[in-house]
Amino acid sequence: MDVIGPALAGFSVAFEPANLLYCLLGVTLGMLVGVLPGLGPAATIAVLLPITYTIEPASAIIMLAGIFYGAQYGGTITSVLLRLPGEASTVVTAIDGYQMARNGRAGAALGIAAIGSFIGGTVAILGLTFLAPLVAGAALSFGPPEYTALAVLGILLVTTLGGGSVRASLLAAAIGLLLATVGRDPIVATERFTFGSDELADGIDFVVVAMGLFGIGEILFNLEQHRGTNPKPPPIGRAWPSRQDWRDARAAVGRGSVVGFVLGVLPGGGATMSSLVAYAVEKRRAKDPSRFGKGAIEGVAGPETANNAAATSSFIPLLTLGIPANGTMAIMFGALLLHGITPGPLLIGQHPDVFWGVIDSMYVGNLLLLIMSVPLIGIFVRVLAVRTAILAPLTVLITMIGVYTVRMSVFDMLAVAVFGVLGYLMKKVGLEPGPLVLAFVLGTLLETSFRQSMRIFHGDLAGFAGRPISGVLLGAVVVIVVVAALRRRSHRKTVDNDVLAVPGPTKEP
Amino acid sequence: MDQEQEEVQEEVQEQVTAPAGRSRTTAVAAVVSLAVGLLAGWTAWGMRVGTLSEPGPGLWPLVVSVVMVLSSVALLVAAGHATESDPFTRGSAVVLLGAVSLLAYAWAFERIGFEIPTALLLMLWLTVIGKEPLLTSLLVTVGATAAAYLLFVVALGVSLPRLIAF
Amino acid sequence: MHRRIVALLAGTAVALTACGGVQGGSAARDAAGFPTKPVELTVPSSAGGSSDLIGRAVARAVEKPLGTSVPVVNKPGANGAVGGKEVLGSSPDGHRLVMLFKSLMSITPLAVDDPDAIRFDQMTVVAPLTVEDYVLVVPAASPHRTVADLVGAGRLSYGTTGAGTGSQLAQALLFGAAKVDATDVPFDGGAPTITALLGSQVDAAVIQIAEAAPQVDAGALRPLAVFSEARIPFLKDVPTAKELGYDVVVDQRRFLAAPAGLAPEALATLQKAVATAQQDPRYTEFLEKNYISPWTDPADQVIPHLEAAKKGYADVIAASGITFKES
Repeated sequence: MDVIGPALAGFSVAFEPANLLYCLLGVTLGMLVGVLPGLGPAATIAVLLPITYTIEPASAIIMLAGIFYGAQYGGTITSVLLRLPGEASTVVTAIDGYQMARNGRAGAALGIAAIGSFIGGTVAILGLTFLAPLVAGAALSFGPPEYTALAVLGILLVTTLGGGSVRASLLAAAIGLLLATVGRDPIVATERFTFGSDELADGIDFVVVAMGLFGIGEILFNLEQHRGTNPKPPPIGRAWPSRQDWRDARAAVGRGSVVGFVLGVLPGGGATMSSLVAYAVEKRRAKDPSRFGKGAIEGVAGPETANNAAATSSFIPLLTLGIPANGTMAIMFGALLLHGITPGPLLIGQHPDVFWGVIDSMYVGNLLLLIMSVPLIGIFVRVLAVRTAILAPLTVLITMIGVYTVRMSVFDMLAVAVFGVLGYLMKKVGLEPGPLVLAFVLGTLLETSFRQSMRIFHGDLAGFAGRPISGVLLGAVVVIVVVAALRRRSHRKTVDNDVLAVPGPTKEP
Repeated sequence: MDQEQEEVQEEVQEQVTAPAGRSRTTAVAAVVSLAVGLLAGWTAWGMRVGTLSEPGPGLWPLVVSVVMVLSSVALLVAAGHATESDPFTRGSAVVLLGAVSLLAYAWAFERIGFEIPTALLLMLWLTVIGKEPLLTSLLVTVGATAAAYLLFVVALGVSLPRLIAF
Repeated sequence: MHRRIVALLAGTAVALTACGGVQGGSAARDAAGFPTKPVELTVPSSAGGSSDLIGRAVARAVEKPLGTSVPVVNKPGANGAVGGKEVLGSSPDGHRLVMLFKSLMSITPLAVDDPDAIRFDQMTVVAPLTVEDYVLVVPAASPHRTVADLVGAGRLSYGTTGAGTGSQLAQALLFGAAKVDATDVPFDGGAPTITALLGSQVDAAVIQIAEAAPQVDAGALRPLAVFSEARIPFLKDVPTAKELGYDVVVDQRRFLAAPAGLAPEALATLQKAVATAQQDPRYTEFLEKNYISPWTDPADQVIPHLEAAKKGYADVIAASGITFKES
């Protein structure tokens, strides 16, 4: 099958002046809503859907895809500058990206994220062009048992996040898993831990947990630290990565592209898992893993590249199988249907212009984002020059209103304040919010797929080992745990590197 | 250059990083999460655990509770050599004030519209907590409240509860 | 000094509150004249599913006759109970509508214990919308060509679109009557069910025809039976369950509802607008294209239909001796 011709024809659609304008509009709008916590791309696309009825299907989708992309990048900006991750896939970025900003390297963090996103997107588009049918088939071999294994692996990787101790991360992850069970049981709808509250029957929203623990928690913590002093804002530094930054990050960008492309294909949780795996890979490969959690550029470059590559490859199941991989894709699915185009196995044959127009528009969207980010990063990093005493209240305000807009709920505002206090307390006792938030995201996936698997296996736990992919994944989990345990044991004989277990004041081995 | 950057980095680290465990607070935190884990486990047990082939709604929360209890115990054991004293200081009162102001803000938000609580919240944080000069605070407050109105209500069409309607 | 300013602001707050009402927000109370602002349609399932698409098609068609925008809000959870309860518990000013389904009202109560389930007296039915039928499908790679093959295979697992859905009921009744050792695996909606089926994670599944159509056309899924009274034109070679000797008739119907106590004027305005919308050629074309029939009964027949269906299903379940309730 000739793919090059139609793929290039798609570019002629994407480069039409009107479509470029729609793309620019979408990307800008997306960036704006990405910066505002709460209003996500899915909600924005849903709101704008009626406006697109009157324009050409390809143009409509190009604009909507632009929103999707722009929002991804907007979320990175707040994660890095203010420690406010608006999307599950940027939680990982908030860890090292924010520390980079505190060290005067915000421009480098945002720049490498933009470059990485562009490269990741490009790689994924190439993969999509040549491998889509193959990869789509592979995605189908992921059933509930494979998702269970993947989620277990994810929870395990969560404990490698940041610079905290494993015990502390494990506890944080357990709290996250428990919080994920609040609300109606995903299988039989029994209410759990809701204390009769209707607001809790829905479960707790990701935005509430992430904004509270990261954003508000950080602000409350700093209030106490800087009491009485007016702290110096961090230096702004260069507005773009240096040659050295690029040298440090390029391998991470390369690995992130592959990880993101592969995991992004999996419907549900692909982008989040990819950022997590990319981070874990970089930390494992680093000569000095202790830099992670303190502003390692690979800790931003890898995950940001991966989540963008994943965002692109998440179009594969939608366009080749008719299966939306995430909430935003589901809205895109709806948008296509309302334009009279049914995404499914027959789409590429019936509407090659739409198929390639959409794909190529993402390429254009990424290019526009990269071009826009050059001047914009310089402007955005100036936020850091604002005195903390002024920046903190403004951040709090945007967070509170943003959380309200998620589902127009005062309860959520109260909840975000409570999670803010929890985040502050966790920081006081040395627990990191990252593992909690990501375990919270993976918790529902893990429980649902575990319970589905047990039904498929008729209650036989050995069933997981009997399937190739879940068997291999769970084998990997076991190996990682055993190796880590052995390594710790041999370490402990010489220098004890478990921070919590050290009685003396030495922090680093 | 690199040297300098590293120094900045270390300085910042010292400022922002909490005492990484090892303190009495860690032990308290471990005990609290242990208690929460036990309570959750007990509640989950009451939700019908079911069997492996027909897992009930309680099975998964029960598993999670067990993990939570075990990791709490592990943390408690590790924190056993506590040497540091309680890091909560008088400065913690500001945190309390900040948190209560957020709760009050949320409480008032739908009752009296968002404009006044927003202005009050900003004034409180700027003047009392942030110790900014009065004029600066007033300017920032008015500017930010108006900007929030324009951004959310006018530009994005979000239906915030409000007093001023067009 | 600071304190005085704060006090002043607080004073102003009280004064302003005394003179003006609060606009907007989740509890907007201003109901004089309808509609005074956008009418929000809550679809209590995730975006992209058939409920969502029908909701969006209705919303689009109803905007013009209603003279205001009709944003669609997705609020998934518990087969629609979450979004349904939220809207029905809000103030009945007509600016918040919810699209509810037959399965939630007639089947879910038979499967799930919820002391707080949605009751008929909590809602004002605005308009009946659609009827959709279910089809039993197997992956193209499956060795089974007929229902007899499938039920003769011994132990099997089947995917449902959730606990307490028509998908679960139809299969529980079918496999119960055929006395097969079958385990249900609930997924969250149609798309994940199809995904699992395409990957042969489950042996069979019942999904709605609109969801199955693209996959059936592409030869990825094979239809074995439909659960309607008569054969479906789109699948005229596929027998009904009734023809095969299983008395299982299950369909899905959707309707628009508002919280109980909606003012008659607002109700009339809404009903008129929806009636006009249902004649919109783009809407009717959308239904046809997706194998959806309009539900043509009058609005006051909706609740009696749902009550009768609930009783009917309960009777069949009792007669067949299967345990439908989550054991």
